[in-house]
Amino acid sequence: MLDLARGNPWVSRATLFVFAAAALTAMGLGGTAVGNLFSPLLGAVGPEATPGLGRHLLVGLMLAGALVANLEIIRFLPFRLQVLLVWAELLLLFYGFVLSFDRDFGVIFAVGRSGVSNLYFLITTGAFTTLYVSLIAIAIACVLALIGALGKLSRNGAFYAVATFYISFFRGTPLLLQVVLIYTGFAQLGFVMEAVPAGITALALCYGAYMAEIFRAGIEGVPSGQREAAKALALPSDLIFRKIVFPQAMRLIVPPTGNQFIAMLKDSSLVSIVGVWELTKTAQVLGKRDFQVFEFLIAAAVIYWVMSVVFEVIQARIEGYYGKGNTR
Amino acid sequence: MKNIFVLGSAAALAFVMATPVAIAGETLDRVMATKTLTMSSDAEYPPQSFLNDNNEMDGFDVDVGKEIAKRMGVELKIVTPSWDIITGGSWGGRWDMSVGSMTPTKQRAKVLNFPAVYYYTPAAFAVHQDSKIASLDDLSGKTIGSCGGCTYDAYLNKDLVIDAEGAPAFDYLVEAGEIKTYETDTHAFDDLRLGDGTRLDAAFSALPTIQAAIEGGYPLKVIGKPAFYEPLSVATDKGDPAFDAKITAIVDAMKADGTLQKLSEKWYGVDLTAVQ
Repeated sequence: MLDLARGNPWVSRATLFVFAAAALTAMGLGGTAVGNLFSPLLGAVGPEATPGLGRHLLVGLMLAGALVANLEIIRFLPFRLQVLLVWAELLLLFYGFVLSFDRDFGVIFAVGRSGVSNLYFLITTGAFTTLYVSLIAIAIACVLALIGALGKLSRNGAFYAVATFYISFFRGTPLLLQVVLIYTGFAQLGFVMEAVPAGITALALCYGAYMAEIFRAGIEGVPSGQREAAKALALPSDLIFRKIVFPQAMRLIVPPTGNQFIAMLKDSSLVSIVGVWELTKTAQVLGKRDFQVFEFLIAAAVIYWVMSVVFEVIQARIEGYYGKGNTR
Repeated sequence: MKNIFVLGSAAALAFVMATPVAIAGETLDRVMATKTLTMSSDAEYPPQSFLNDNNEMDGFDVDVGKEIAKRMGVELKIVTPSWDIITGGSWGGRWDMSVGSMTPTKQRAKVLNFPAVYYYTPAAFAVHQDSKIASLDDLSGKTIGSCGGCTYDAYLNKDLVIDAEGAPAFDYLVEAGEIKTYETDTHAFDDLRLGDGTRLDAAFSALPTIQAAIEGGYPLKVIGKPAFYEPLSVATDKGDPAFDAKITAIVDAMKADGTLQKLSEKWYGVDLTAVQ
């Protein structure tokens, strides 16, 4: 069928249309807001009438037609414009999805007696805490990961054992339990930590363990010829690691580490159980005030997303820096 | 190599032995020295405790905490660890008391002290507005949501023990078909509001919390009379009888001079400070 499709583009278009129409009809959209848009086409059928198979089919066919036509038009545009347009369309769909919940999103921007809007509070208290907790934690995690990776590559049995034990335990247990263990467990030994340091410690230890494997793979990924060539030039071994191996390993380490950081931004919501008002917790607290949790969770989701996009861009910059040796 | 391990474990053992075991008998001293009474509270439990539109903690529990601090002549500070962390005990001096509408059950009394019952809250069932359920009898066999590990959960499992003095007797009036538990009972309201029977047929929670949700626009209604009244107490960490005695004396005084009743009427519209 693929060959057929390649031979005749109309076959692939028709196939897509049939499958999309079948799937959309099966979803039974006749009674939804989208369905009501098309209801005048069926004459007397009003929005309040119970939608039948005919209406589901009509809506399915119309939407599938719109989808195929949309893809056809986009085909004639240059690549960048294609990307922009599809992003805009998907964002619009997401916006429509959120609007369809029929909730009062104005409350996100409402200003209380404090004189600041809820969104301002959400950002200055919640997003700010999420950001600084994650940044400190990822910095410590990088150090732990480097030590863990060196331990795992070490020929010293004790160092190797400690490193593998650390990596195994913190990768093998849930972050939520680690937060509780560090906050409550250590307190029973008399080592009492406040909520924020305990949360940062748990995040750093957990992510350090995951990233140790990334660092190890990065260091091992540098061709052994590099090390041998440096040795042949009689460079001391610490200099070989710092100046030859590590910078080349960074090229392999940065992309998955950026990935880990973006994951941590979201996982930092787990430290709210010890009372840290990061973004998710702040959204829930604001939402519970007037029983409008959902509105604030959507707002928090958008803020998380924006932060992630910013860090994706930063990651691309760092990648460019360490990758410059590979560009011709 | 073996020596390294022996040395390592010896060092670890020494570290564990050398650290102080618990902070005992110092709570009152610490409160008085720092002029700060730290209270743990849930920021997501209106009208007991929540963030008001001035972005400050407010509610019945918060007002009671403020009054206790005022009578001690110190400032009140509020922290918001999760319910599990609070009820788990071993606070390590990070906060001094919980004024969090906590029921003094036997299980909790193993790790916490309950120096003062400050009010009694009715527990009630709520259903969706569209529900045909009209009485507690109709609830049998239905899917009911509540907070996990709390007294409502225990009641539905017919496993509720309230060992506080003067706790009113109760009967198990409802045989739940399925019990769904949530981190906190307001999450059960979120599922119930989706529609009658969509995920839940009913939710079981504190009557004041249900009423606050209804005022907040949740399409719910209360069914039947309260299933039971539970005493709710201030909680403290183990180990400082002097601090506990101080809390008991202050709450007794607040009851005697009518302050507590006034706060109850302010937040609940009725006096819930005496046994019903």
